[in-house]
Amino acid sequence: MTRTIDTDVLVIGSGAGGAVTAATLTAAGRDVTVVEEGPWVDPDAVEPFSLEEMATKYRHRPAAALGAPAIAYAEGRCVGGSTEINSGLYHRLPANLIEDWRDEYGIDEFDPDTLDEYAERIEQQLTVSRLPGAPPPSSALLERGATKLGWRSVEYSRVFRYDAAGRGVKQTMSRTLVPRAVDAGATLIPNCRVQRVLRRDGRAVGARAQVTDDAGRVEDVTINAGHVFVCGGAIQTPALLHRSGIRAHVGGGLKVHPMIKIAARFPYPVDHGGVPMQVITEFGPNLSIGGSASRRGQVAMALAEASDDIDGALADWEHFSIYYAAIRTEGSGRVIGVPGLRAPVVTYRLTDADLSRLARGLVHLGEALLAAGATELYPSVRGGPVVRRPEGLVDWWSGVSRSRANLMTVHLTSTVRMGQERSRTGADSFGRVWGIPNLRINDASLLPDAPGVNPQGAIMALAARNCDHFLAES
Amino acid sequence: MLAFERRVVRSLIGTSDPSRRAAIEDYVDSSLRSMPDHLRAGFTAETVALGAWDRVAGALGRRDDPAALGRRLDRWEASPIGPVNQYVRLLRSLVLFAEHEMAGQS
Repeated sequence: MTRTIDTDVLVIGSGAGGAVTAATLTAAGRDVTVVEEGPWVDPDAVEPFSLEEMATKYRHRPAAALGAPAIAYAEGRCVGGSTEINSGLYHRLPANLIEDWRDEYGIDEFDPDTLDEYAERIEQQLTVSRLPGAPPPSSALLERGATKLGWRSVEYSRVFRYDAAGRGVKQTMSRTLVPRAVDAGATLIPNCRVQRVLRRDGRAVGARAQVTDDAGRVEDVTINAGHVFVCGGAIQTPALLHRSGIRAHVGGGLKVHPMIKIAARFPYPVDHGGVPMQVITEFGPNLSIGGSASRRGQVAMALAEASDDIDGALADWEHFSIYYAAIRTEGSGRVIGVPGLRAPVVTYRLTDADLSRLARGLVHLGEALLAAGATELYPSVRGGPVVRRPEGLVDWWSGVSRSRANLMTVHLTSTVRMGQERSRTGADSFGRVWGIPNLRINDASLLPDAPGVNPQGAIMALAARNCDHFLAES
Repeated sequence: MLAFERRVVRSLIGTSDPSRRAAIEDYVDSSLRSMPDHLRAGFTAETVALGAWDRVAGALGRRDDPAALGRRLDRWEASPIGPVNQYVRLLRSLVLFAEHEMAGQS
């Protein structure tokens, strides 16, 4: 027996793109149903970056884009999507990228002023702000290193709300736009995996899905919809389109920001509760340097790649903090939905120039950390030598190879690029899938390239713009 | 988790606390179960191959000696063959993360 649900607008996914879509369209009076593959998890129930968070909010704990080197990646799989598991750092889409992408892909009504207006709206809704008061030591150390070297660095804003005492709470989608949409009348269905988008006569007519209840029982559901927005992110969106028989310019061109990391030891304990908000921008937009989550488990994993005996270092884990160098790549990847496989195959190819850029990033990161007062640096390079003085950094140049670099990413974009250049894009300037006018993409897949900064702000501004276009059109 | 995977995981866990050892095993088990299908299939194939190797090597020596397995894991982790060293690195990473997170909670 298949249950049938009727709705005006079906939104598939509840992350940065899906939540904006649901909240905007519901506020405009549309009948909206949001389906999310993952569960609803109380945002206060688990600590950020903890074991419990990985167990409840992540899609695959060990997942990697195949290639040489493989790149580990993380995706959220819960109401709120990856906004629930990211660092909350916020950045608008850089103006020069907007203009470059507009010209290269022929994107209509895509300019810095327009996107800034949407960004301002999002920033007000989410209370995007700077940290009140002094930054935590892990963040101040990065600023100190940059200042000593004469490099530019900035404190990023965050999607956080601060109370009078300066305590911050990340404003994830499960705390903000998803409940706002539900309060305004949207229906939210968690634990609902969409198997395929249904089409008839050149139009999307809904989706076939399965809902799993708390007891593990699976119910088949058909959702009839007048309009379908796919907002599953740059991996799941193309995979769903492939499962639905839509393949033209879908899944290729995956872009990520590969990160290479250093666990840095300092002569004193460093904070471990959050993620540093200082970012070294001296080498941007193609190379940026910042800080990562540095809980005890993450420090242990970061130290494991080092050539030295790590037992002494592990005993001193509170003196460690983890930092990264992230790049924009020449190379790109592919998402392939394979019939019979629940998860898509993801591949990524880094060029020699990308590896060289990563090596340069690792060395610059090492320079900044030593300038900040670090006494030992453990790189995420298999067998990479521990460095204690600047002259030792030269040994890392040859270490960043395809067989030894240990890379990861959390930023995934560009698998259904937008624009009017139909030979290179999977969707038009407003996310409509070519040939299926009422099927829209509204997530990171649309970005033509990796932005070089945390993409959440860009995704949300773009999603809000596309929603306004949809409302004006319909 | 297959039998050989469990054996490797047990040899990588540092703590002697039985309940924590069980919790770490559970974490690794659930992590492997949540891997994408194709990655899990490849990992399973490696388990079968390395487990067979271990049995052959064990037949020539002391099969159930945990120290011997530990030395073998060290050799595999240092192997220039990517899939071989990644096999041990993945399990070691999962164990390290779980063990140290749990230690931090206690």
